[in-house]
Amino acid sequence: MPVAATDRRHLLALEGLPQGEILTLLEVATSLREAASGRISPLDRLAGRVIGNLFFEDSTRTRHSFSLAAIRLGADTLDLTGRASSVSKGETLLDTARTIEAMGVDALVIRSREAGVPAMIAEAVECSVINAGDGRHEHPTQGLIDLLTLQQRWGDFTDHRIAIVGDIAASRVARSAIHGLTTLGTDVLLVGPSTLVPRTFEQIAAGPGRVTVGHDLDEILPQVDAIMMLRVQFERHSPGAIADDYRARYGLTQARASRLQPNAPILHPGPVNRGLEIDAEVADDPERSVILDQVANGVAVRMAVLSRCLAQR
Amino acid sequence: MSQILIQGGRVIDPGRGFDQTADVLIRDGVIAEIGSIPPSNQAKRIDADGCIVAPGLIDIHVHLREPDPEHDETVASGAAAAIEGGFTTICCMPNTHPPIDTAEMVEFVQHKAEQANRARVFVVGCATHQRRGERLAAIRSMAEVGAVAFSDDGDCVADASMMDHVLRTVHEVDRCFMQHCQEPTLTNGASMNAGVTATRLGLVGWPAMAEELIIERDVRLNRSIGCRYHAQHLSSGDSVQIIRRARTEGQPVTAEITPHHLLLTEDACDGYNTMAKMNPPLRTAGDIAQLKAGIADGTITILGTDHAPHPLHRKQTDFADAAFGIVGLESALPLYVKALIEDGVIDWPQMLAMMTANPAQLVGIDRLGLGSLTVGGPADLTVIDPELQWTILAEEFASPGRNCPFDGWQVKGRAIVTIVAGHPRQHRAPERAGAGA
Repeated sequence: MPVAATDRRHLLALEGLPQGEILTLLEVATSLREAASGRISPLDRLAGRVIGNLFFEDSTRTRHSFSLAAIRLGADTLDLTGRASSVSKGETLLDTARTIEAMGVDALVIRSREAGVPAMIAEAVECSVINAGDGRHEHPTQGLIDLLTLQQRWGDFTDHRIAIVGDIAASRVARSAIHGLTTLGTDVLLVGPSTLVPRTFEQIAAGPGRVTVGHDLDEILPQVDAIMMLRVQFERHSPGAIADDYRARYGLTQARASRLQPNAPILHPGPVNRGLEIDAEVADDPERSVILDQVANGVAVRMAVLSRCLAQR
Repeated sequence: MSQILIQGGRVIDPGRGFDQTADVLIRDGVIAEIGSIPPSNQAKRIDADGCIVAPGLIDIHVHLREPDPEHDETVASGAAAAIEGGFTTICCMPNTHPPIDTAEMVEFVQHKAEQANRARVFVVGCATHQRRGERLAAIRSMAEVGAVAFSDDGDCVADASMMDHVLRTVHEVDRCFMQHCQEPTLTNGASMNAGVTATRLGLVGWPAMAEELIIERDVRLNRSIGCRYHAQHLSSGDSVQIIRRARTEGQPVTAEITPHHLLLTEDACDGYNTMAKMNPPLRTAGDIAQLKAGIADGTITILGTDHAPHPLHRKQTDFADAAFGIVGLESALPLYVKALIEDGVIDWPQMLAMMTANPAQLVGIDRLGLGSLTVGGPADLTVIDPELQWTILAEEFASPGRNCPFDGWQVKGRAIVTIVAGHPRQHRAPERAGAGA
């Protein structure tokens, strides 16, 4: 049977996670910010626990962020990346996960090229499973990071509106943000060419926030309280899907950034393609850009998630 | 002299509109008499009271996986599964490893089927060499040794000029071409129906248009050629409209359906349920309504299974990586009862026509007397208890394939006796058997 979204041993998606759960995670993450910064000695609440990083797809930032989170909670980590692990030897994903579980890990942090892999493994193992990004599906810890970053700027989520711009179709970050934000009452405008932003997105979330698809970035700039730029994932599309004038139509240039509301923060989950979806000057603008806040929030959020999942054991 | 007397069943021979309570006497592998027949000492009896006695069921869309190093199924196990499901004749698709694209390969499968001695097996040969879609396979040679149809099933003959060559050649040898309707450039990396569920799950969507475009194109190509053209496993409601139009124009175009495309929708894929991963994918309730309308008005004339066994590890993986398809031979009959008869779409004689006379005609085995109940013709019969309630249990299948989304379903209607050339190959109701009077 598929694992329920409310099973607190795992974090597989933000879809289906109740509002209260999300707010508690943000609250815990906030309380852990100092411990996350490394300015105090590590906590011991996960002492003796082992966190396995099982990354079937390359990632440096997310993997290191999870490792730091584990270390600052006193846990040990075990790192298995695609190339080093037995996946490349033809062992099935499930066999790999079961083998690592049998070594005594308490949680598996899983990154996969395809959607649904963490959910499938969660059904098959006893330990906790945390989704660190599965294909185009979700990246729930990144979603929580974005929520925390916005909460720090906004204070509240209702009566707010955000634009997510760019390659929505291929984006797990967008899907997690959509579910998290709409659950908390924020309206989400998805903006990009119709080849990368299908209309079906308007129906994927339960609300109360609404999802709207649009194709004109210039029109929506003054209407939003924040903007999130996404990387174009060329590797996930047929080459024909991205037009020559993509940057001209959807890049966040300085001129466009100046048309945003003065307090509207600019988010980007990284890695940034400077000069494509966002100009370097905009990405580095200390007043507007919260890209480094997102990175800094990453460890605290992942500490909160690890604490929550492992508290159930 | 071996004799069997099937007593008091509702005898339905859909090809000639026969539907009466009658006895059927089988002698030496052929049907000796149909009517009111007094019991004799020589004949073993089968009490068919309350049952339907039909021509042996025919499934023209089966994957037997032999030759194949993986052995997900063999000709023998597939032919045994057919018997369990009430099918006396099956046609096997050529997407084996290596593919069935030479006369020798056709004869290899025929030989395996003779050895197995279960259901009759007819071979569908490749349309193109190695199913690559690049040049014609040895269609004439395969036809000479008895290939009944041609297809690259599993893949579409996508190139239009190649398709033109295939239709002309298959027409020349007076066979049927079966198209797996999938425009491949619209389905790169796709694993389920394009729609809200695919978007939410982060899976690449497979639009219904991929099927419709190919059927539309093929029907146009075939207009001046006139090959018997068969669209396999329809999934899209709009495909029905294209087929309907072509048939109205008098083109020799037919279409087939499967139980899963009538009973399940894309919703079954939720939670990354790989048992619901099909090619073509499960669609929507709206599509099902149009497919049923196409069955009711005679646009779709053939019920298939697309029996596709896979080992479980090919399903117990992530959705994008998982194998397409499910087993079907041992569950098709009650599932069609559920989808078509219980739902009032068609009645028993109409449904049986789509499982006997129509498929026999399409692949030309009606000339062998298959798909009908004819005195002097081969005694291939299926006795069906239409009211028998049972539970589909994949672990009990004769096929080694356990990939079945209907596992555990409560269903009604079952083949209780399957007779091939006068030999009862399966007899699920011993209480109905009797020695000579």
